Amino acid sequence: MKKQTLKRAASLAMASAMVFSLTACGGGGEDNDASSSGEAVPTIDQITVGEDYTDIEADITVLTNRTDIVDTVYAGYAEQFMELYPNINVQYEAVTDYEESLTLRLTTGDWGDLCFIPTGVDKSELSNYFTPLGDYDTLDPIYNFVSEKTYDGTVYGIANGGTANGVVYNKKVWADAGITELPKTPDEFLEDLQTIKDNTDAIPLYTNFSAGWPMGAWDAYIGIAATGNPDYMNHDIVHTKDPFAKQDDMTGPYAVYYTCYESVARGLVEEDPASSDWESSKTRINNGEIATMVLGSWAVQQCKDAGDTPDDVGYMPFPITVDGKQYAGAGGNYSFGINNQASTDNQIAAMVYLKWLIEDSTIYEDEGSIPALKGEELPDALADFEGVELLSDNPPVEGEEELFNDVNNESEVGINNDDYPNCYLLESALYGTKTLDEVVGEWNEQWSAAQEALGVDVNM
Amino acid sequence: MSKQAAAVPKKKRSFMELMKRREVQRGLVIVLFMFVPLLLLMTFTYIPFAKMVQFSFYDMKYIGERTFVGLQNYIDVFQREDIFSSLFVSLYYMGGAIVQLALALFFASLMVFKERGASFFKGAMFFPYLICGIAIGFIFKFFYARGFVLDSILQMFGMNMEDIPMWLQDQSINNIALAATSVWRYTGQNMILFLGAMMSVDSDLYEAASLDGANKWHQFIYIILPSIKSIVVLNLILSISGSLSAFEPPYVITNGTMGTGTYFVIMNRIAHENQKVGLACAMAIVLLAIIILCTVAQKLFFKYAFDDGTSDESKAAVRKRKKAEKAAKKAAQRAKGGQAK
Repeated sequence: MKKQTLKRAASLAMASAMVFSLTACGGGGEDNDASSSGEAVPTIDQITVGEDYTDIEADITVLTNRTDIVDTVYAGYAEQFMELYPNINVQYEAVTDYEESLTLRLTTGDWGDLCFIPTGVDKSELSNYFTPLGDYDTLDPIYNFVSEKTYDGTVYGIANGGTANGVVYNKKVWADAGITELPKTPDEFLEDLQTIKDNTDAIPLYTNFSAGWPMGAWDAYIGIAATGNPDYMNHDIVHTKDPFAKQDDMTGPYAVYYTCYESVARGLVEEDPASSDWESSKTRINNGEIATMVLGSWAVQQCKDAGDTPDDVGYMPFPITVDGKQYAGAGGNYSFGINNQASTDNQIAAMVYLKWLIEDSTIYEDEGSIPALKGEELPDALADFEGVELLSDNPPVEGEEELFNDVNNESEVGINNDDYPNCYLLESALYGTKTLDEVVGEWNEQWSAAQEALGVDVNM
Repeated sequence: MSKQAAAVPKKKRSFMELMKRREVQRGLVIVLFMFVPLLLLMTFTYIPFAKMVQFSFYDMKYIGERTFVGLQNYIDVFQREDIFSSLFVSLYYMGGAIVQLALALFFASLMVFKERGASFFKGAMFFPYLICGIAIGFIFKFFYARGFVLDSILQMFGMNMEDIPMWLQDQSINNIALAATSVWRYTGQNMILFLGAMMSVDSDLYEAASLDGANKWHQFIYIILPSIKSIVVLNLILSISGSLSAFEPPYVITNGTMGTGTYFVIMNRIAHENQKVGLACAMAIVLLAIIILCTVAQKLFFKYAFDDGTSDESKAAVRKRKKAEKAAKKAAQRAKGGQAK
């Protein structure tokens, strides 16, 4: 009798142990020094690819958002690298809905070794998840855009190349319409669009409204392209009263939103923005059905690849002139970050692969972006940018690292992270429900309220 | 001493005997079998829900620090214009829900009379429910796009392109167009539920009714509808609460732009684009409260007006009978009184 009870108790214990072991998954990943080779993780500038760490053995996983080319192009890079380092096994994993899934996966510590740092991770949080790659002062002369992932003088991520912000256009359509000189101000740009509408069958400006993000892309121009000031986005805009208000010389954020609003209000965009289609728009700008699209330079290569006339696709700077000079903002793509919870061997192996990828592989020629390494040649796509000064945003001053994000989120103006306010701008122009001044007036109000709520010093 | 020694085994035996008793054994089995499902339910439903309630009192992002703000998030929900105006968009989906139930009832009643090809149509109409909502969104995104499927069909029937509205852009029609997609999706499912309930009606009733000269319309009104009352009410409640939380059509097709943003779409934007997780949690809880209110109100309405279909006699019939009884009693009394006089 007693035996039977014991048996029952034991089986009950087993059953509950099985249930609890289900819930216990995903806890570990803290204790990682066991498998290390005893070496400290170096900084990225100390590594010589092809000579150092050839004896290290590791399996590393690289996460990417490029589901389209992960098994072809990216896997090709991994193979080339593994010829050089046969002991390191590089595996790519594509993640759909990258931003959101990865933000959640990061917190578990068990996500792989090398990833694109989600833009939602605040700079002050970087050290919790990512291995330091070196000092800002050491790496800044070597690589572009390192300031984007620098906190407290330490670099946690290096951008996978970068893009300059301009406008994609079909050279042939613009020439056929009789335009010989590229526009330099918003009004010249609008006149040119009108000329295209009058003289050709092409859609002058395609908004890609229904995809959402191409509307959000307009925000990229309100900083350097509209002001020529590399401190604007991370400092000035946060401390300015009514940053979206009209300025007399037609510069600043207003000029950008004016261009967008007026082209819609004057009927220079597609007939039904609500049913626009991004995938086919690439082909249509290639073959001349669309004249212009306002998108980052990363889009140029995709538009060239989408049809039979890649040479017609050109890229021009955004039409705003500040004191007689045009500027273009250059910014990094997603930055690579290394998991600081992985074993030391894996961290080193990931760093070696990262260095090889950004310095020795053909990734930037393939993607048509500005290389990560300073001093390399600009891609062909940026030929029209002669005489235009390329600048990138300066890092925020100490103590204000998160201020822009905080004001931006609190106000819900959503610069560079929420497409909806820009869609609202277009809707206001399309239905004629609100004037541009009313729309930017609302944004100024929200911005001021957020500045006040967060106690920001408004002194500009 | 010996007394004590004897007492211990006696006690032990009584415990074992207790364990062997039928009621105790039954209780043990119940607890053990309930343990796993309850554990899963707690882990995946109630604990996350409790967390959400907790988050709704904080000003927080997904990562980073959290500050307790008390009821501020709830105050914001009720003060913000964009949040509450989005509830009006749900009215379109409620209208759609009524149309959908009417259509489902209509088709189900057609099929219950065993028309030719009924099982084919049953399958064909149920099919949309099997497609995932996101895919349906993409289907209709192209269906409504300018110059695509719907426009070309209308043109085939001789309509001019200028006369056709822009389905997704024209604010007088775009919410109707979106609500139509959810009607298309759920009509079949409602129909199957109705059909199931109708099948349980004894077919002798139809025969008897038709012998008495009742036509199909009479059969529907006096036999079918009363028998499936409770499932109609259930479907109505599900559709109304479903339309308050409509998400997929506006999110996939228009991304909530052009005035089509429902409560869920706004909530998604606040949580993800603006990273105001606390506010979004508060919105979720307010929506839950609204849905509970709506459901209770509907329940009460049906209970008062039509009875909720649970008793054999309807409220109106009961009232009629009681009234008649009362009148009879009174008449009897009067008659008595008259006699006494």
